[in-house]
Amino acid sequence: MRGHASLLGAYVERNSLLHAAPLWAKFMPVATLSVLVLMLNSPFATLVGLGLVVLGYLVGARLTLRELVQPLLRMWPLILILGAFQWFRSGPETAFTVVGNIAVCVLAALLVTLTTQSQRLLDGLVFLARPLRPLGVDPERLGLTIALMLRSIPYLVGAAEDSRDAARARGLERNPRALILPVFIGAVAYAHQTGEALAARGLADSDDDG
Amino acid sequence: MIIFKGAAVRAEHPATRQILEPLNLTLAEDRISIIGANGSGKSTLLKLINSLVLPTSGQVLVNGLDTARKGSSVRRAVGFMFTDPLSQLIMPTGREDVELSLRRRHRNAEERRSAAEKVLDRFGLVHLADQSVYDLSGGERQLLALAVVLATEPEVLLADEPTTLLDLRNEERVRRMFRGLEQQVVFTTHSLDFALQADRTLVIDGGRVVFDGKPTEAVAAYRRLSVRDVAHEEPRR
Repeated sequence: MRGHASLLGAYVERNSLLHAAPLWAKFMPVATLSVLVLMLNSPFATLVGLGLVVLGYLVGARLTLRELVQPLLRMWPLILILGAFQWFRSGPETAFTVVGNIAVCVLAALLVTLTTQSQRLLDGLVFLARPLRPLGVDPERLGLTIALMLRSIPYLVGAAEDSRDAARARGLERNPRALILPVFIGAVAYAHQTGEALAARGLADSDDDG
Repeated sequence: MIIFKGAAVRAEHPATRQILEPLNLTLAEDRISIIGANGSGKSTLLKLINSLVLPTSGQVLVNGLDTARKGSSVRRAVGFMFTDPLSQLIMPTGREDVELSLRRRHRNAEERRSAAEKVLDRFGLVHLADQSVYDLSGGERQLLALAVVLATEPEVLLADEPTTLLDLRNEERVRRMFRGLEQQVVFTTHSLDFALQADRTLVIDGGRVVFDGKPTEAVAAYRRLSVRDVAHEEPRR
């Protein structure tokens, strides 16, 4: 697996206001901003949302323009198809609002993961899951599950890129089987491997034996 | 002390295939090496000890705990090091991975952070702690994997071919680390020099322990076995 496979949405070390802020102080504004732009659903709100996100990346988190644009570049087929469809169906204003709102939500969510170490994220998830304990939910295990799910997304994106390159090298870039099957097999192997690593470290176990 | 009481492993598919023949062993020495060809059953034997694989018949006891009934307790007492450290390192950076190992022991985030720092310092890995695990060299990753396993201070360390992916310099680093450990260490290896560092060596062939004794004699027995097997192969045209 290529190194960059681990980097999409993964923590980036910087000395910034957002890096130093507690998880809740980042999560609350991000959630509020995402809900607001989706509720208001206007080009002006989208524009303000985009402005705030850009400010958050460049000033609040001291991230680079490249780190801001990278997630959008990875999503370009989706943005293009959705934007073209909305333009054709409802006009340029709606196309801008829909695509812009998606960009605001994705970038804002990534701003949390880019500025929060996974252990702090895990602590936050465990804290949020605590009220579910009376229902028989183990907060530590639920938090770990969600953290692993988040961690697996960049891995799978990297696997898809590797698979695309391998197919291209063999002249099979238009063959869906050559593109999808290795990703699928890789995902199953990755899940098995992670499960075994967790079991070997006793992290998949409950506190006591049966 | 690790005791195998007739412990055997049979494959699920096809059920007739025996991966490990019934084993009766007591492993009490500080350093035990296991050598054998690829697919001979070395890794399965190792995985039996921390209940990553359960015996289909018989029993494995680690410090008196049955691996089939006390799996959680056994895994807390037994650390496992994989051949490929990337199979073992789950979190994006070394610091976060060490902290993950310490989550059970230290529920408080500050305590955990401080304990992780001490572990990283002990292994001389502080300067690499915040780098992506994908950006580390093979040797650095393997040392980090060792730190991650030993962070929980297990009583026994199992290592499955820990030097196979390493160059000579890094192999020597890992071997030195192993020499200095307080824990009982059981490891599989293809490096016969490494195998010779143990107090006792097992030779596995076709799921059976075919030699059990002094490392020098075991290595000689393994060489004879390999030469004999290759000599019996039909020559290719």
